[in-house]
Amino acid sequence: MFSRIGYAVRETWASFRRNLTLTAAAILTSAVSLLLVGTTFLIQRAFENLLVQWRGDVEMIVFVRSDASAEQITLIDSVLRASPTIIDVNKLTYLNKVESYEEAKRIFVGDPVTLSLLTPESIPTQFKVVPLSDDPMLVRSLSDQYRTLPGVEAVALAEDEFQVISTLSNFIRVVTLVMSLVLLVVAVGLIWNTIRTAMFARRREIEVMKLVGATNWFIRVPFMLEGLLQGLLGGVVSCGGLWALNSAWSSGVAGFKPGTGISSLIVPNSYLTSVMLILLGIGAVVGAVGSAIAATRFLDV
Amino acid sequence: MIRLENVTKIYGKDTVAVREASFDIPKSQFVFLVGPSGSGKSTLLRLINRQEQPEHGDVWVAGRNVNELPASQVPHLRRTMGNVFQDYKLLLNKTVFENVAFALEVIGKPRHVIERQVPIVLELVGLAGKRERFPEQLSGGEQQRVSIARAFVNRPLILLADEPTGNLDPTTSEGIMGLLDEINETGTTVVMATHDHRVVNAMRRRVIQLDNGVIVRDQERGVYE
Repeated sequence: MFSRIGYAVRETWASFRRNLTLTAAAILTSAVSLLLVGTTFLIQRAFENLLVQWRGDVEMIVFVRSDASAEQITLIDSVLRASPTIIDVNKLTYLNKVESYEEAKRIFVGDPVTLSLLTPESIPTQFKVVPLSDDPMLVRSLSDQYRTLPGVEAVALAEDEFQVISTLSNFIRVVTLVMSLVLLVVAVGLIWNTIRTAMFARRREIEVMKLVGATNWFIRVPFMLEGLLQGLLGGVVSCGGLWALNSAWSSGVAGFKPGTGISSLIVPNSYLTSVMLILLGIGAVVGAVGSAIAATRFLDV
Repeated sequence: MIRLENVTKIYGKDTVAVREASFDIPKSQFVFLVGPSGSGKSTLLRLINRQEQPEHGDVWVAGRNVNELPASQVPHLRRTMGNVFQDYKLLLNKTVFENVAFALEVIGKPRHVIERQVPIVLELVGLAGKRERFPEQLSGGEQQRVSIARAFVNRPLILLADEPTGNLDPTTSEGIMGLLDEINETGTTVVMATHDHRVVNAMRRRVIQLDNGVIVRDQERGVYE
């Protein structure tokens, strides 16, 4: 038994060194594709953070025309309070012109042109609404109703902004997933080719082994180990890349002002660790399976 | 030990390599398969160790129908046979000792068995003093001895030899034949394909003659005609 393990390890290592360039190509390709897979995971998770943060207190904002009368404002307030089962009445807040202008100064801090168009006199005031219900359709139907009230300028739903973000995140997910799948196929192809080359280099030995009665598994195992090692090394390299990428991103994001949304695009370390383990797993399995198929295929020469 | 019943082997669509071949080789016999190149000698050997499977007929080895063996049993069948070739098929990056040890290593024999068996068989073939040489440092006859040692180290029931003297001069061939004879003396059945008149005529053993894939003569103590 021990002599068999020793044999397999020796042969794997020898073959690894013999095909250094092909091996390096196979490792790098699997590393890049796995890195993309990992990046997909991280981006997904980061966007999820953002969406979760917004979803935590879905807000509807009812903007009131700057020239609305006091009666109109009172009417809007009472209409909002007329749906206590849908709207959290205790959290209902009204921002007057001064408060609204203060908030606008924060929102448009990076956009002075828009801000210069606004004055404390011309700015719409606003009701901030926290719904009780989790049903976005219910909130939306309410907002349609509010839009028709006299003095209401517009009703904004946080949900509409989610859609932008989730569309964006879906798009990124599809693109990165497709790219990583394509690269993964290329990686399998390269591993396949390395194994074929390795087997061709050793066809004489394989012929002798078959003639003296070595089992197919015995012949196959060193090649499978070689493929597994290639996939695993690709996984290790991709983990290093992912870690570097995440660190660079995290420290970059730390430079942004908090509350801009971008700062929530950060992934916790525990999640990063599990993604890395998944990448190592995928690498090992892809390498072993690819080379096993190749070895089986080319054993009958 | 080896029995063929109406065996026909066809390569491709219509290249008949062996046609309706039947013979029975008892244990410990020494048999020559003779005939010109392409007469089907090598194919017969390849049918016996199941490198090929026949289109018709059955091949029996040691009481088992070779063609009905599941693929997983083929390695075990081959462990009961040794193979010797005209071109030796030695591994050039391994020493004499390693080449012979390789045959035991890959069927999972433990180290101590290898350390014990390989020197014994190298002694038998007369290469005890050259165990650390590489094949390229040996003469043709010596390389063939290494290949015989490798074929015999697992003490097979059957030794299949395909033109083992094909690349050797008469004197060296004589030595190789002596060695095969010695192995036969230990009870190993030897089947040797050859078109070397001298060795066949000198040995006077059973001769099965092929012509175009058909057995045209099967004679005890025969000569090459």
